[in-house]
This record gives sequence, structure tokens and C-alpha cells, in this order.
Amino acid sequence: MKITKLGLTLGALLLSGALHAAESGTALKNDDIKAEPFRDAKTVATLATGDKVDILKKDGGWFQVKSAKGQGWVRMLSIRKGDVRKGGSDASGLLGLASGRAGTGKVVATTGIRGLNEEELKAAKFNEEELKRAESYATGKSAAAKFAAQGQLAARPFDYLPAPK
Amino acid sequence: MNKNSAIQSFSPFATRATQGEQFGYQLNELPFVLSSAVSRAYRRITGVQLSIVLALALISGSAWAANPFEQELFKALKQGVQEKVTGKSAVSVEEETAIGRQIAGNLLGAAPLVKDAKLQKYVNNVGRWVADQSERPDLIWHFGVIESNDVNAFAAPGGYIFVTKGLYKLLQSEAELAGVLAHEVGHVIRQHHLKILQQSKLIDLGSQAIAKNVSGGSDRVQNLIGSGAEIVSRSLDKDAEFEADRIAVVLATRAGYDSFGLPAVLQQIGHFAKDDGDVALLFKTHPHPDDRLAKLGTAMDDRFDGVKGKTLEKRLYRIK
Repeated sequence: MKITKLGLTLGALLLSGALHAAESGTALKNDDIKAEPFRDAKTVATLATGDKVDILKKDGGWFQVKSAKGQGWVRMLSIRKGDVRKGGSDASGLLGLASGRAGTGKVVATTGIRGLNEEELKAAKFNEEELKRAESYATGKSAAAKFAAQGQLAARPFDYLPAPK
Repeated sequence: MNKNSAIQSFSPFATRATQGEQFGYQLNELPFVLSSAVSRAYRRITGVQLSIVLALALISGSAWAANPFEQELFKALKQGVQEKVTGKSAVSVEEETAIGRQIAGNLLGAAPLVKDAKLQKYVNNVGRWVADQSERPDLIWHFGVIESNDVNAFAAPGGYIFVTKGLYKLLQSEAELAGVLAHEVGHVIRQHHLKILQQSKLIDLGSQAIAKNVSGGSDRVQNLIGSGAEIVSRSLDKDAEFEADRIAVVLATRAGYDSFGLPAVLQQIGHFAKDDGDVALLFKTHPHPDDRLAKLGTAMDDRFDGVKGKTLEKRLYRIK
């Protein structure tokens, strides 16, 4: 890949602001493609389970997608992300390295840090000092509320979801 | 005599204040628990049992205080009623916290905290705000990021919650962090791990642990939880995971966040190959992210349409 082209790709990726640029996906179930990211928007086309799409953008619970059947908005929960397209993999790979991520958003492994498998968890020895340190960072109710307000997060009522039958 | 005045004379229960207060256990919760218990008891408990409870309630407090055996009996009775009515474990908050503390200390023995105080403070801020939207805002909640490239998150009873650095680095907004922490909060408020311990008969309900913060933790509690932090690597049943997912999107929404933080993370994790070591334990102990997404999609349906929330990408603390 030529440097200029790579630079352009990187530039485009950085400019777009879309974190999921050049990502492909697959429909997890049959669902409508809508003209807008709303339930009541006009239905442009219908995806069938297994249909391939390109994910262009995300907005709340919706993906803007391009597919053989048409372009528009689909509920993100109806789409499974596939692998990064070949065309974009070099660029996002490099981008990923720069930010400590690989193209798929996978963390690049660094040596020297162990995993956490069952054996390790089983053999773990109680670490009082580390636990006390962890406990020292606790946030109280009022501090949490203040932190929320700084981010303009307002609490609101919302019912728990019923378990699907 | 109305139900509520009967409840007020349940005061002998309200005697375990010493440690309870330290754990944020509100004694004034007790009358509430019991009043709701008794009101629902009419529907859920047989008349005979109820009349025993009410009869006991009429006996004066001082008589109970003088008799340790009867006090124990009363406590056991209260727990039984509480469990029947609320579906909650009859383990006391102190016991639950002691168990969680032991598990957390062991987990930190396997993987220490990331040495970044700002990061740790930040996840506690987000986590506490989310947990405060649940029905257990009075627990002393603890959150932390631990030094591991694995992609995983852990919850221990009593409100000890940890995410790995590997998972943290995948996150792209505060709403995604909130969603991940809210899933773990879901396990704590539904006491999923505690129930595993009870099912495996590791918790003897008749006993009450006096949690001493001795160096090395408590042998007695350690005996309850098996070896090390192995309990957090045990699989909960699939339904418990789906339930925690459903709770997570609701708690995040209640906290004012975009509801789709957790689903976005599940989509990211769905990327990983099944044989990737970083997700081996996660994939072993949880349903595949695709299944979780499909289930969440069904449960969320169109309930979240038009519910706008904050993503706060810019406020997400980035690990150097």
C-alpha cells in the first residue's frame, strides 16, 4: 500500500469520527432497513438472516448500513459484526497499533502479564494490601451524584425488562 | 391491631447494629422489609406460618433479648420468611460482604490493580452511580480495573466488581463502561454467585460469620468459598447471564446513559475468535456474545426507542 494512499485512508478514518469505519456485519435475524433511525420511519428494504451488510455509522440503537438490498438504518441488535474488510485492515491495523488496539479492537498482547485462567484463580492467594487499596477508592453516594451531574447525567425511572417467554 | 403496628414490635431483630452499620446496612430497612414481607405473606405464606410469625411478633422484645437460643430461633424464622417472600438469599449483608471481600482479595492476589489511581477513582464513580440506580444502593460498592490482558469482568457478593485491563481497553465510551459494570451489578443484586455457593452447600445458613479482617482474610470464609477466587471462574447458568444483561441496559438507562453501551461491547467481543486465549475464560463461562445480543434484542424490543442517553466518549478515562 502506497504511503499517500495509506495517509488518506488514515485521514479519512480519523476524520469520519466513526469508530466502526469499514466494518462489515451479518444480519442475526430478519429485520427492516428503515429510511431513518426510528421505528416509525419508512421501510426501505428487508434483511434476511445471514445477509451481509457494511456498517457505516451508529446512532443510539441503530446502525446505518449498506447492503445488496438497500441502504438505511437497522437495529444494531439485529446485526452481528463481521471481520474488518480486507480493504480497511492495513489502515485500521496501523491505527490500532498506535492506540494499543488491533484492527478488530483487539488488544495487542504484551508479554509479561499473565492471563487469568481457572488454575490461576484457584491458586490465588488473598492479598490484603491490594484489597485495602481497592477499597480506598470507593465512591460514596453524594460523590457519585456529583460526578453524574458533571456529565449531565440525570437519573430517570425505567422498568426492568420482563424475562422473555 | 393493624399490620404495621405488629411489625414495629419486631424490634428484637434490630439488634445487630454494630457491624451492620459499617457495611451500610440500614436498620430502618428492617421494618420495611418485614412490612412488605407480611403484606405479601398473606398471598405467599400459609395462614398457619403467618399466624406463628404474628404471634411471635406480639411477644415483648425484652424476653427475647434475654434468651440467646430463642433469639437464634427468631433470626432463623425471620430469614426464612424473608427468603420466602423476597426470593433473596437469607445470608446477612455482613456475611455476604465477608464472602465478597474474601473472593475479591483472592482475585487481587491473582491480578493486582492497575497502578493508576485516577483510573480506579473513575471506575468507582461510574460504577457507584450505576449501582445507585439499583435496589441495593446501600451496599458499599467497590470497583476496580485489574492488571490482565484477558477480556473479562468479575463480580463477587457484597458489591466487589472488577474488570480486566484487556476489557477496559476495548471500551469506547463511558456508556460502554457503565453497561459492563451494570451487568456485574446485576449479578450482585440478584445474588447469583451467593446462590451458587448455597446450592453447593458451602454456606451453612445456620451460622453467621463474624468477619474479622485478619491478615490473610478469614479462614472460615475461605472454607465457604472453596479455593482462591475459583468461584468467579465458575459458570452461572445461561439465564443468570441473560438476566444480568437485561438488568444492565435498564440500570445504564436509569443512570442517564445511552442504553446500548453493553450491546456495543458485546458486538466488539463477538469479534474475537473462539480459540483466542484472551477470551477463553469469558467464552467458557458466558453464552456467546451473539446469543446474548439476540436475547437482548428480543427483551429490549422497541422499549428503548426514543429514549436518548449520553455516551460521554470524551469523558472515558483512557489508560496511558
